Amino acid sequence: MNHLILLVVLPLLSAFIIPVVAKHSLTISRLIGPVVLVFILALVVLSWNSVGSNGFAIFLGGFLPPVGIVFYIDHFSLMLSGLIAGMLLIVWPWNSYVAPRQYSLYMLLTAASFGLVLSADLFNLYVFYELLAVATYGLIARQKNPAAAVAALRYLFVSATGSAMLLLGIAIIYTLTGTLNIAHLATMTDQLHGLAGLSAFALIVIGAGVKAEMFLLNTWVPEVYSTIETPLAALLAGLISKLATVLIIRVLLMLFQQSEVLQMLLVVGVFGVISGEMVAWRAKDMLRMLSFSSIAQLGMIFIAFSIAGEVGLWIGLAMMLHHLLVKGGLFLLADKMQGSFDNLRGYAKRSAMAVAIFIIFILSLLGIPPFPGFWIKLMLILNLAEQNNTLYHYAIGFILLATVIEAAYLFKLVRYLFQDEEAATIVSTPKSLTFWYAQIFALVLLVSLAFISPISNRLKDMASQVANPDIYINTILPSHLSGGNP
Amino acid sequence: MTKFASLLFIAGLAFFLMVVTGLLPLGNSPMLIGNAILDSAKEQVGAANVVTSVVLAYRGLDTLGELSILFAAASAVGLLLTKSSFNKPSKNPTNTEESDSGFVAINGIDLIFPLLLVVGMYIISHGHLTPGGGFQGGVVLAIAFAMRSIVRPRGKSIDHGVVTFIEAFAGLSFIVIGLVALYTQGHFLQPMLDQGHFGSLWSAGTIPLLYLAVGLKVGAELAGLILALNTDEVNI
Repeated sequence: MNHLILLVVLPLLSAFIIPVVAKHSLTISRLIGPVVLVFILALVVLSWNSVGSNGFAIFLGGFLPPVGIVFYIDHFSLMLSGLIAGMLLIVWPWNSYVAPRQYSLYMLLTAASFGLVLSADLFNLYVFYELLAVATYGLIARQKNPAAAVAALRYLFVSATGSAMLLLGIAIIYTLTGTLNIAHLATMTDQLHGLAGLSAFALIVIGAGVKAEMFLLNTWVPEVYSTIETPLAALLAGLISKLATVLIIRVLLMLFQQSEVLQMLLVVGVFGVISGEMVAWRAKDMLRMLSFSSIAQLGMIFIAFSIAGEVGLWIGLAMMLHHLLVKGGLFLLADKMQGSFDNLRGYAKRSAMAVAIFIIFILSLLGIPPFPGFWIKLMLILNLAEQNNTLYHYAIGFILLATVIEAAYLFKLVRYLFQDEEAATIVSTPKSLTFWYAQIFALVLLVSLAFISPISNRLKDMASQVANPDIYINTILPSHLSGGNP
Repeated sequence: MTKFASLLFIAGLAFFLMVVTGLLPLGNSPMLIGNAILDSAKEQVGAANVVTSVVLAYRGLDTLGELSILFAAASAVGLLLTKSSFNKPSKNPTNTEESDSGFVAINGIDLIFPLLLVVGMYIISHGHLTPGGGFQGGVVLAIAFAMRSIVRPRGKSIDHGVVTFIEAFAGLSFIVIGLVALYTQGHFLQPMLDQGHFGSLWSAGTIPLLYLAVGLKVGAELAGLILALNTDEVNI
């Protein structure tokens, strides 16, 4: 099982050699990335069954924890790894000409994503978070238009400040406890629950919140997503934002399981939902609307995670997967349906299929029965109602209000799509690869409808595994049970 | 208004950091991991410089990550400065002779250049014994080439293809050493080979090799960056 470290190492290796290989053969250099991704996907699928319900720990360098770096692998992280590999294969720049170094950046992004999912060491997580950030700066700034360069610069400032905060938070935790291993930290949470510990957590949330599109830290989102190519936007909005969320959730679950912290998450989530939907309502172009609505959806995910225990976790997981599918699909679709709403007038005539898929996606996003989005939202609201805190009850009202706003602007857009003032503009749009992927996403969404209960059972299992710090601690620090302090 | 808000934010942040610093047990913080490493580093890794044991053995993956971050930054800068981007290089190349910095500077640098290379390689190769190592030595190597390119802005100080090759080769060898350890010893980047006589140049197993890879990688990365900033036409 130790070979699962290849998930991180192979993409790094390929990123290093791509520029040299490109000097000899451009074709091979373009193929390295997809080949590695397919190999990793196969690796993830093959090792699925050999990972037990207790997870598995890789001790890097053979140093037993808490001294060395540890990777923790369970079904949850394997599932995320599979999604990363799959998503990168989808957004891989197949047809457009790109410089070999750009392939390198994509592979570095991949390695960083795997590292973020698998690592169980705070500083190691920071390293991968930073690698992810630097690779995205390059990919965003590389876009052809000057607007993207400005967006990348602003993103750089926000994100670099965030990274500094994250590092500061980790440094405070290390000074307080003298260790960086999350499992080891989880055995001494009482030392972290003072004022200094909580401020460290706040700093970590701020740092990771930049990528997770958290309220007040998401000013870069609309600018970046509307200037970069849509597959990359689909990757950032669909997947990367979720990885940052997972980082926050891991730290929260293992180290700061307190009601104040959860309520803070709830409030931030509610603000994110409301502000995102309000601005999306005023948006006049497709990509901006999608980016703002993505902020709102991430807020919703934070609300779900703010419910204590397994329930909140599995609803949050379901929301994450649903949003990955729907928002990823919408951004891929927007590759064809770009531009201001006026340009999209009468689009239904031009491509009935695209509009049909679009409507499926937004119905699920809104939570109209029988789409998966409905069940998730229903579970969220039911469980919010069960909480013994009025704050959670107010959140229900805000979620419903946000849904109304969301419905207002999405249906307005649908009306535009069916208006045809000049029916003469029938352009035969080329069948692009991204459109096919959008269709596949929609198909997956529809098929998942038939498997709602097995999927939710699977997610519940996963959630109970992730939510239990004891499993995590016992797998990584077996010696801790016998009382020996290594 | 914006300026006032930023000022307020910075003041608030400074106050917050001050309070947090006051809360921390600075000076007598618990050294759980630190002490554990100090106790076991000598027999587990065998490097006389404990910092090196931490950088390359206990936290080797972090070092690989740092190298990748540097590589990502260099790649991003290289991508931004290519011809196709909107950042067009100046059209009129000046005469090679005119842009040079004069006799004293050029000959001075030519004199120092080999010495800098020796110092850089010394720092890298003694990284497991004395303070220093791949990162510091790599920077010295890069500076040697940077100074040559500063005094002769139009002259060709080093071939970009060579830099790219060294960059890739160094990264490759770091990972390959790690993978060899994975398949022979069982763990990625596990210390291998004989630890040798503690404190001698040939000791600490694979650690000096890893540091050599780090040094070459850092040097090539920074030299490549300076080259990309200096040349008109970059072929990445």
